[in-house]
Amino acid sequence: MNLFGVMDVSASALRAERVRAEVVASNMANAETTRTADGTPYQRHHVVFEEVGGNGSFQQTLASQMGDGLGGLNNGFSSGIQPLGSGLIGGLNSSAVAANGAPGGVAVAGVISDNSAPLRRYDPGNPDAGKDGYVAYPDINPLTEMVDLMGATRSYGMNASAVQAEKNMVSSSLDILKS
Amino acid sequence: MAMQVTTPLSDALGKYLDLTSEQMKLTAGNMANVDTPGYRTKGFNFEQAFLGALNDATGSLGAQAPVANVDGLVSRPDGNNVSMDREGMQMAKEQLQFRFGVEVLKDQYSNVMSAIHAEDK
Repeated sequence: MNLFGVMDVSASALRAERVRAEVVASNMANAETTRTADGTPYQRHHVVFEEVGGNGSFQQTLASQMGDGLGGLNNGFSSGIQPLGSGLIGGLNSSAVAANGAPGGVAVAGVISDNSAPLRRYDPGNPDAGKDGYVAYPDINPLTEMVDLMGATRSYGMNASAVQAEKNMVSSSLDILKS
Repeated sequence: MAMQVTTPLSDALGKYLDLTSEQMKLTAGNMANVDTPGYRTKGFNFEQAFLGALNDATGSLGAQAPVANVDGLVSRPDGNNVSMDREGMQMAKEQLQFRFGVEVLKDQYSNVMSAIHAEDK
């Protein structure tokens, strides 16, 4: 066990939280986007995190396999949300991440797209308006996005201060050589 | 009697530092997974693990630190029970533990060094 391994764990969290912040930024930037590549309004994206490697004991693995973990959660969500194949940051292969990621860290399991129905606003002058004069806008609530962004910022800050702590520990263990 | 540079205390301190960094890794992992759905906070009993390591001459620490889920934490609706406050405090505690181990170890080595250089005086 070395201290640099601990820094790898914190670094994986910094990476994951940054992806989360990027996705939120992309959501807010596209809050009024009515036309994407396939002609439909933009759909809100969000990230799902997963644990990487770790010191998972047999009991923990069993517990997560029995539906305590992500498996059960995915089933609950599957009605409204579908995996995003080649979206914004999608297509992250979770098994590849798990194979070479830091043990005990966190990884972005994928970026998923929220399939909720678009908001309809009456604006007959808009080139994207339908025959009835309504335009479909993405269902993005700035409040939700801000809360998500704040969560990402706080987590990032916490893990960054963990890195600071680990750096202090590494440099203090180097002090042994100076005695 | 064999001449040795390491003392029983410095051996124990080595195990203490190993266990502290092992615990630090779990804390960092808990912090990293603060937003992972279904993740459970991990930890081990430091005192028990240290006692086991002291009594074990082979020095393999793996068996002494049985990693388990930490009880008594409130789960959020997504099944995650990581508390930022707990992990922050753990991190601060482990930092001080590590610092303590390093300082005592430095003291040990400077004792050995002064014994080596005693004849210079």
